[in-house]
Amino acid sequence: MKIESRSIAIMYFMGLLLIVLALIDLRLGSIRISLGDIMGHLWGGEELSDQQLVILTRFRLPRLATALLAGAALPVCGLQMQTLFRNPLAGPYVLGISSGASFGAALVVLGAGAAGIVATWSLAIAAWIGSGTVMLLLLFVSHRIKDVMTILILGIMFSSGLAAVISIMQYFSQASALKSFIIWSMGSLGNVTGSQLTIMAWAIAPVLLVTLAYSKVLNGLMLGEEYAASMGIRIERTRIIIFATTSILAGTITAFCGPIGFIGIAVPHMARFLFNRSDHRILIPATMLTGMVVMVVSDIVSQLPGTERILPINAVTSLIGIPVVVWLVIMNRKAQSL
Amino acid sequence: MDTIRADHIISLEKLSIGYQQENVLLSDINLSVGPGEMVALIGRNGTGKSTLLKSMIGLMTSLEGTCHLDGRSIGQYNLPARARLVSFVSSQISQLPSLTVGELVALGRLPYTGWMGRLNRADQQMVDQALEEVQMGSFASRKLDRLSDGERQRAMIARAFVQDTRLMVLDEPTAFLDIPNTFDLIRLLSRFRDGGKSIVYSTHDLEMAMQCADKMWVIHEGRIVEGAPEDLGLSGLFDELFQSSGIGFDEYSGRFLFNGARKGSIRLEGKEDQAFIWTVNALGRLGFSVDSNADYQLNVEQVGTGYQWTIEREGGSVSFSNLYKLARFLTQDK
Repeated sequence: MKIESRSIAIMYFMGLLLIVLALIDLRLGSIRISLGDIMGHLWGGEELSDQQLVILTRFRLPRLATALLAGAALPVCGLQMQTLFRNPLAGPYVLGISSGASFGAALVVLGAGAAGIVATWSLAIAAWIGSGTVMLLLLFVSHRIKDVMTILILGIMFSSGLAAVISIMQYFSQASALKSFIIWSMGSLGNVTGSQLTIMAWAIAPVLLVTLAYSKVLNGLMLGEEYAASMGIRIERTRIIIFATTSILAGTITAFCGPIGFIGIAVPHMARFLFNRSDHRILIPATMLTGMVVMVVSDIVSQLPGTERILPINAVTSLIGIPVVVWLVIMNRKAQSL
Repeated sequence: MDTIRADHIISLEKLSIGYQQENVLLSDINLSVGPGEMVALIGRNGTGKSTLLKSMIGLMTSLEGTCHLDGRSIGQYNLPARARLVSFVSSQISQLPSLTVGELVALGRLPYTGWMGRLNRADQQMVDQALEEVQMGSFASRKLDRLSDGERQRAMIARAFVQDTRLMVLDEPTAFLDIPNTFDLIRLLSRFRDGGKSIVYSTHDLEMAMQCADKMWVIHEGRIVEGAPEDLGLSGLFDELFQSSGIGFDEYSGRFLFNGARKGSIRLEGKEDQAFIWTVNALGRLGFSVDSNADYQLNVEQVGTGYQWTIEREGGSVSFSNLYKLARFLTQDK
């Protein structure tokens, strides 16, 4: 009971922190919109100017919402992969989901030779189809292959293969198309339009609920599939659910934002460390919350407050995520941290 | 072999196990476990012990034959129902999750809890009781990676215990344990057995199995022999089992002897006290038999608070203050 109330207290703290960070994130940008202005607008005080309102609702709010969705979704995928494969370095992309999405994007950008089509529907749909194809392949494979570690190796091989194909496509493509593709692969939270955001939210929110509902099963998987089966868990069905949810979450985020690195691997470890729990009933919401905080922080950092420039989000999340993984490997080697 | 009875918790009929049809490990297996029975499965490495245990309870698919669990074919159970009848402890301790002992043991209630896995008061009581049962009541909040091998194995068994099944199957539960921990663990399993559970476990510790099992399953040359330990001893099976590896089974003492090369014989003189018995043991270990017609004579006598060993032979005698020195002399001299 005492541990439980401690976890809940940390949740409240993280929730508050998230609200504060979100407000700071909304403030940032070339056009000044202060917190007071936003509050005033919300509670019927001084109105925002039309320009401010457009910037807020068309750009900054969708950007924040995208950060929150990505921050919740990718780390949960990572957590599921780490538990299923019992490997602390597994992440949402080990199965080749993002490679599938990248391949789809590469086909559109490089194949069509069209520059300047970053963040259009066609790009997102192509990336989505790419990751969906990988998911179907995975489900087919997981039905036929008993050993889950074999699936992990196949996933890694498959994504390396796709990366090779993409690099060949890059090699033969035009400079402008190549630049568009490279910019896509650096990730961005700011290119998602309002209608895309709606689709994204509808794709992600229900799946996040499914992962929450599977926390008991993930607990059972911590001792490995054999023990899980001996405790009445239907392994095949569980694998399908885990692969499908991971593919939908990671695939959707990648389709709209491009690949976003390291958040998926590092955040579950941050959550384990912060909450000091392994129980997935706590760990899954804790991971979502921590992920949202980290993602909003990354977004703030990427906007380089005080300057006019914006860094690619993939670089920022990696720079935040890598020290965490390094710290884990060095400091935490004895404790299995899973 | 008696026919399959309704009260058998598990009965195997013409079962074949292995990985594929081309790689059959054991075939035509006919075995059964009664309620409140402890069965020890013995067999050399690679003979299919783990495969048998896992196939028997549905964790692996068997190739042929039937397996009845509590009177119904194992395929007729859905997984949670099966998990309420059989619990399993694996031999592998691969990667440990950073769970506390209490959380680990609570996992055993998975087949009973609702979709969120919340423990009710009765569940929690069972967890506490199981921890007491394995003498780990004060370990509930300790992390698994802070446990010794023996403690961890007891925690794993407590997890299987709260699964509250009539049959408990354990794959080499004593493999990593020292002798006191092995005794503790076997005593624990015996207590479960006395409480009405059926236990099947695989082991290499034949001597221990002979002292505690109600029945043994011995894998030998591709078949499985079933019987009470003493019946199997009487049949000469154990001697056969270890013939190739230079180990003899003494059918009178029920013990195993390591047969080194024979080196000779010695005439032993002395009072038949403890020192005499230990000297016989030492000579046996070194490959000397005790023979009243042997050329050499060894005297054992008490000197003050200790003992003295004297070898008499042509050209005088040599004395030793302990068996180690005697042994060094015997192995180097001849």
